[in-house]
Amino acid sequence: MLHKRILTLLTVAIAVTTIAACSEKLDAGKSCPLLCPQQAISLADTTIFAVELDTTVIGLPPIGHEAYLMLASHGDTLETRAIVRFDTLPQSYTKSTVDSVITHLDSAILITPIAKPDSLHRPKAPVTIEAYNVDTVDTDTSAAILGSLFRPDRFLGSKTFAPESLLDTLRIPISTDSVLERVKNGTRLRVGFRVRSNVGVDVRIGTVQTNGPVTLRLRASLDTAAAPVSVSPNSSTPPGQTFSSGPLEDYTIVLKGGQTALGVTALGVGGVPSRRTYLRFNVPSRIIDSTTIVRASLLITQFPNRRVNPRDSLFVYAEAILASPGAVTDIGSLLQFLSAPGSFGLDSVSSAPADSGVRSFEIVGLVRTWRGQTSTVSPRSVALLSAAEGQLPGEINFFSSEAPLAVRPRLRITYVPQTSYGLP
Amino acid sequence: MTHTTVRSAKAARRFAQYSCAAAAFVLMPAAVHAQSNLSSQGYGFPTGQLSARAYGAGGSLAEMDPLTPVNPASLGLLPSRILFLQMEPEFRSVKTTAGTERTTTARYPLVFGAIPVTSSFMVSLGASTLLDRTSSTSFSTMQKLADGQDVAMNTTYRIDGAMSDVRLASAWVPNSWLRVGVGIHGISGHNLVALTQSFDDSLRFSAFTQSRVLGFGGGAVSGGVQLVSSKFVAAGSARYGGNLSVTSEDTVLAKARVPNRFGASLAYIGIPNSTIAIRTTRDSWSSLGSLGSPDLRAVDAWDTSIGADVAGPHLGQRIVYLRGGYRMRTLPFQASGQDVNEKSITAGIGTAFAANHVITDLALIRASRTANLSASEHAWTLSFGIAVRP
Repeated sequence: MLHKRILTLLTVAIAVTTIAACSEKLDAGKSCPLLCPQQAISLADTTIFAVELDTTVIGLPPIGHEAYLMLASHGDTLETRAIVRFDTLPQSYTKSTVDSVITHLDSAILITPIAKPDSLHRPKAPVTIEAYNVDTVDTDTSAAILGSLFRPDRFLGSKTFAPESLLDTLRIPISTDSVLERVKNGTRLRVGFRVRSNVGVDVRIGTVQTNGPVTLRLRASLDTAAAPVSVSPNSSTPPGQTFSSGPLEDYTIVLKGGQTALGVTALGVGGVPSRRTYLRFNVPSRIIDSTTIVRASLLITQFPNRRVNPRDSLFVYAEAILASPGAVTDIGSLLQFLSAPGSFGLDSVSSAPADSGVRSFEIVGLVRTWRGQTSTVSPRSVALLSAAEGQLPGEINFFSSEAPLAVRPRLRITYVPQTSYGLP
Repeated sequence: MTHTTVRSAKAARRFAQYSCAAAAFVLMPAAVHAQSNLSSQGYGFPTGQLSARAYGAGGSLAEMDPLTPVNPASLGLLPSRILFLQMEPEFRSVKTTAGTERTTTARYPLVFGAIPVTSSFMVSLGASTLLDRTSSTSFSTMQKLADGQDVAMNTTYRIDGAMSDVRLASAWVPNSWLRVGVGIHGISGHNLVALTQSFDDSLRFSAFTQSRVLGFGGGAVSGGVQLVSSKFVAAGSARYGGNLSVTSEDTVLAKARVPNRFGASLAYIGIPNSTIAIRTTRDSWSSLGSLGSPDLRAVDAWDTSIGADVAGPHLGQRIVYLRGGYRMRTLPFQASGQDVNEKSITAGIGTAFAANHVITDLALIRASRTANLSASEHAWTLSFGIAVRP
């Protein structure tokens, strides 16, 4: 009986040991190439003029859709203003849970969040920011009309900041009488910002698009029990068009230096007014559909632009266009249906406007999605845009497909040709 | 035949998976890496289609062991219906000038069932691994692109699968000194080849994986005979190969012939419950040469063994069989243009339980594989077979 149990246990132990070995460990490679008949798959490399259409569209992002308002002053080269609308002003404040009518203002301050400039872009001289009343019954987005309102009789207030004090939020006091008048009358307050300095300066002001807009803080009583009233931007025009009036709560206008002319041999991103570039590709099916692409580089040649901030580097993003050219025919509209930055593994390139040379955008992640798909399903197009579009004036220029052959955009594709692998 | 093949293979695989799951409590997950060795060249390693009992005796019993699907005449030895499964992990080390690598390969090379039709006529259906190609090979290379740039690449070939031999066989025992059998074989199975290539520069280059399934289809017939005297058994068998093709999806990539094989064995059975045997067999593996690339070199090979299966100690009513043997053979596919030879020393043990309703056999094999290369390979193989007589 004991022998029987021992034998049974021994058999079970052997069975378990054997079954345990079904965990494979196939760990090797050291003996290659001696014992490895397989070979690495060779890559093929080709560079083609695959851009069948490229163009630059000016005015993107549209007015009011900027991530930051561009407040710039570069003498005769460039002059911009920022507009913030407070079309609804409160007429009461709360003191010890009791609402009271505003009859007096102790202070009215524009709380102005800004993008903190890094040490390379910090202004070299004090910066003065002025606020003007730019309310008008005329066309209220016209740069010419609004620009004419920046005059002494509409001056609301100003404050000068040392370069090192340009951190994250600026507090600019404005005339309490002017504001109180509008509070009492129930009329709107529209503030125009202007920047002055002895040197060229750029200040980026937060917007409603990034949940960090300028707010107006009113203190109607010196009593500490009275809470200050904070007013967020609000736009009532165009009336009844929320889709349009919402973005116009804050926006930028260009008074001087806006450049709209680009030759047919040039493409641009960034700049003033801001612009994006559209490129549509035509890649042979024998490459897209019949091979495995491991690298796809959009090679595009930059030429110098020395107008504004020529040495300040900008990031230029390549982003996928998600709308089909069949469904949306207007290129300006196509350039607003973009993938999120970084989608499809698309990266950015850093360059200064004054630089020149070939820039390489790696778009393999996007090009791979074209395989086996029509351009309707997977549009074979890419947008180039500046990460600081509408915020900083720098513009990067490239040669277009109308330029001489040597500098035209081209697509370098590295791929694995169709191979017959697997047979020993 | 094709459906039978698939089902048999799936059944074996399912059983294996269940076995793995059952043993999970003693397992640690193991990473799957790469493999390059002497024995898995070409379409893979020939397991020999030996049962654990035959393996324990060096393979010398293959022509007269009913659980080894080599000689269909040996089915006549089975007294009743039977189901059989074999597990066979191999622990391998490959030594080259670059160092030594150790691998573990799990195999389930044999599944088998037989049923008597009359007292002298037995039918069986089984699947066995003819060539196991399961492996994974990783290596690094550098390629120069057209623009003069060097690209460092890492390539991994992962291959899963085997060429299997599904046999439907029958044996007839007209009298006590003669057993004859015939079998028809379907050569089936597949190799799933996954190629992964990645790049050191992952910013600009994107890795990719391609996979391809190579399917095998072919046929063969076999026959065997056993002559039994009071002290000796002489056995022989042969397999005649038919067409064999390898396909990918619906495309025939290459055609060849299933290797012919013949073998003969002589055993001394003068000692009760014991067998001492010598066997040799010849496989025409070269017929597979046209089944791959022009570089594939398959060679005809002898497989010779000697061994014994003797009755050992009794544990109660139970006889414990002890086995030992020696085997030498040439493997079917050359490595770097050189023949690969294998020499094995084997030992085994076997007994029955539950009133002979459950039969278990265990073999331990130490194999040394060499070629005229600066590489050598050694392996421990554990072969465990379990048969159930329902």
